[in-house]
Amino acid sequence: MADILTVKNVAKRFPPNIVALEQASLSVVSGEVHCLLGANGAGKSTLLKIVSGAFKPTSGEILIDGEPIRLRSPHEGARAGISMIYQELDLVPQLTVEQNLYLGHPPARFGIIDRKTRREGAAEALRRVGASFAPDVRVEKLSIANQQLAAIARSLTMKAKVIIMDEPSAALNERELERVFEVIRELVRQGVAIVYVSHRLNEIQEIGDRVTVLRGGRTIGTFDVARTPENALVEAVIGQNRSLIERGPRRAVAGGVALEVKSMKGLHGLEISDFKVRWGEIVGLSGLNGSGRTTFLRSLFGAASFEGAILLDGRDFHPRHPGDAIRRGVGLAPESRKTEGLILDAAIYRNAALPALRHRRLLSHRAMRESAEPVLKDLSTQYGDSERPVRQLSGGNQQKVVLAKWIIGGSRVLLLDEPSRGLDVGAKSDLYALVRRLADEGAAVIVASSELEELYAACDAIWVFHEGRNIQRFDPSATDRDDILKASILGVRAST
Amino acid sequence: MTVSDNPGGERLAPGDRSGALPAVLDLAVQYNFIVIFFFVAAIATMLSSNFLTFGNISNLFQQAAVVGIVAVGMTFVILTANIDLSVGSVAAFSGMLVAVLLAEGRNPALAVATTLVVGVAGGALMGGITAFARVPSFIVTLAGLVSIRGVTYLISEGTPIGNLPKEFGSLGSMLIPILPGFDFPLMGIIFIAVCVIAGVVLRYTVFGEYVFATGGNIEAARLSGLPTRLMTMGVFAVSGLMASLGGVMLTSRLRIGQPTAAQGMELDAIAAVVLGGTSLFGGRGGVLGTFFAVMLLQVLRNIFNLLGLGSFYQMTVTGVIIVAAILLNRLIDHRMGRE
Repeated sequence: MADILTVKNVAKRFPPNIVALEQASLSVVSGEVHCLLGANGAGKSTLLKIVSGAFKPTSGEILIDGEPIRLRSPHEGARAGISMIYQELDLVPQLTVEQNLYLGHPPARFGIIDRKTRREGAAEALRRVGASFAPDVRVEKLSIANQQLAAIARSLTMKAKVIIMDEPSAALNERELERVFEVIRELVRQGVAIVYVSHRLNEIQEIGDRVTVLRGGRTIGTFDVARTPENALVEAVIGQNRSLIERGPRRAVAGGVALEVKSMKGLHGLEISDFKVRWGEIVGLSGLNGSGRTTFLRSLFGAASFEGAILLDGRDFHPRHPGDAIRRGVGLAPESRKTEGLILDAAIYRNAALPALRHRRLLSHRAMRESAEPVLKDLSTQYGDSERPVRQLSGGNQQKVVLAKWIIGGSRVLLLDEPSRGLDVGAKSDLYALVRRLADEGAAVIVASSELEELYAACDAIWVFHEGRNIQRFDPSATDRDDILKASILGVRAST
Repeated sequence: MTVSDNPGGERLAPGDRSGALPAVLDLAVQYNFIVIFFFVAAIATMLSSNFLTFGNISNLFQQAAVVGIVAVGMTFVILTANIDLSVGSVAAFSGMLVAVLLAEGRNPALAVATTLVVGVAGGALMGGITAFARVPSFIVTLAGLVSIRGVTYLISEGTPIGNLPKEFGSLGSMLIPILPGFDFPLMGIIFIAVCVIAGVVLRYTVFGEYVFATGGNIEAARLSGLPTRLMTMGVFAVSGLMASLGGVMLTSRLRIGQPTAAQGMELDAIAAVVLGGTSLFGGRGGVLGTFFAVMLLQVLRNIFNLLGLGSFYQMTVTGVIIVAAILLNRLIDHRMGRE
């Protein structure tokens, strides 16, 4: 069958030296559900953005119906028949369904909207996706599942030949997802091609015809879903590159229990039980996006509400504000250091000294610098002049400023959420060496990361989180890494 | 995705790269509002021989003091990325309240103190609603602008209140000999003192540091354990206090409490703060800029008066200068890589 969409050896580089996509190829035929699978950072979203016209490729070409095409904007992509449905559903909540369906391409004559045609077209598109809601309700009144259907209907009004769906399952429950799947099957029968992005293998096995695996910015291969065993797909996603994951020697953890979560029920269905960290121990949290790692850390820090029983250093611990947690010696390096961790335009030393100011009234900038600079130096932060805004530092050095905040503030329980995000290999190993040293000096550390390699190399224990629960604890020195990965992806307890 | 840093992990800002740029010029760029102020003052001196006289300068401070003090309070609010539209009404209300209390024969010091406490409470109330009910401060203080003006008419029954005691009037009219032959108005001294205190608070207290942190990135501030909601309340209380003080001084200078006083003062104050380089997005700026911007606007008004040009010219040119100054700041921001 002829390709409807072909991507040939596409690469994307961001100057000066970021390679987001090295060499990706993809071919989609009409009437199939083509899945895209890959770990975090494999280049999935970059590839999608190139295909939909949001990014221009550095090299390589895209063909639609065999014709080479250069897309300069998502608008052009849509006109060429490629429609992208983002995970966060780019609908305008205040507008009605039919307004949303024709947003950007309303049926109009001399600038006056032809409301009758729009109403009929919207009703037709909604019928095709099996929607039960009327075209004149406001999108904000719809459930997430119905919004998903509206987004698909919107693609239909654009006469899309290829509909790209970026992790539609992230916000849906099983029944809602099943409905979306039915719609997908119906559309495929009508000749539309679906590109379905997910990292949940069971979904791919249920809905997919073929699957293309990306790893490290390259296309590894395209497989027939029905005829490829699960293990082969997992292998393709992980790769054979084991050289990076050598574990450094770790001495046995001798400290007493620092933090014990007996039970915790929190936001987004978080349910944690029997979670322990000892002084001097590094515990990793592994799991897919949305598995509850971030919510767990934010709850422990008092930034998200929860109910439950926690002991910190043997005493009850129930933080209601970050201030409560900080007083008890808990510090959080948040997931997004730029929007949550740092005040980018403020001077380096002022960022570093901020949490430690809480006992004071008057301020001496010299004293702040004198408390910040030795710690920053001790963390081997390259900062030049600490008067400079923290924005000017590299990612690795910014992360060290975040760590320094808590070390200066006297924290002994460190919660690190994706601390290595956006860092290069050297900065990553530097960061983990630092984390190991802090643990050796007696700190209790919890690290959440979507990169299992890092956790595997650095942690004394790894908990796998799945859909808000801590399902299994692994000892990385005695477990094969792939067992941990399988537990993360499949969400079932591996036999040990 | 592979991210590689430059050797050493440091990235130079575009501003730092130009080592050839002399330090003086760097400072001139950073404190461009001071340069602009002296530039305009120089023009004023050339245009009118009356400009650079003790009497005229005293006058400048006397006239700038009320809006200047209100603008200092506004600086705190804008530094936290909020806005206070109620300051004009709070000033009018405070000016009226102090007049009512004095007309009842209260002790002047007590009347002033009571009024200032009421101003602080009003500001804290609006700040509290903004912070705890998560309503944009624009809306809360817009409501304040309307209803506080209404209360002002209510307590005065819509008519001015005069016949205030002499000692109270001296607050607004007293001249203090600071140099032989050079008398400086008390109001100007209060304005300068308020600026100095505010500058010290912002630079040398934890409260000031928290103001910058809350405005710079409220989420990062919250996750650093800062009481961000109390901070929001606090800056509005400061703004309420300053507006109240401004209103008291205005009544004292006019020797009469006017319910229609200080109309539109919030806009003058906001214009001065922004012209002084404080970012409406919060976290950047300070009182020094506000001081010079207030004086700059006053000098402009002064020039037009000395040249005998009417207020229509003043309004037109003032607006143009504000936009020009903001565009200049955007350009500098852009060059410093703060986009």
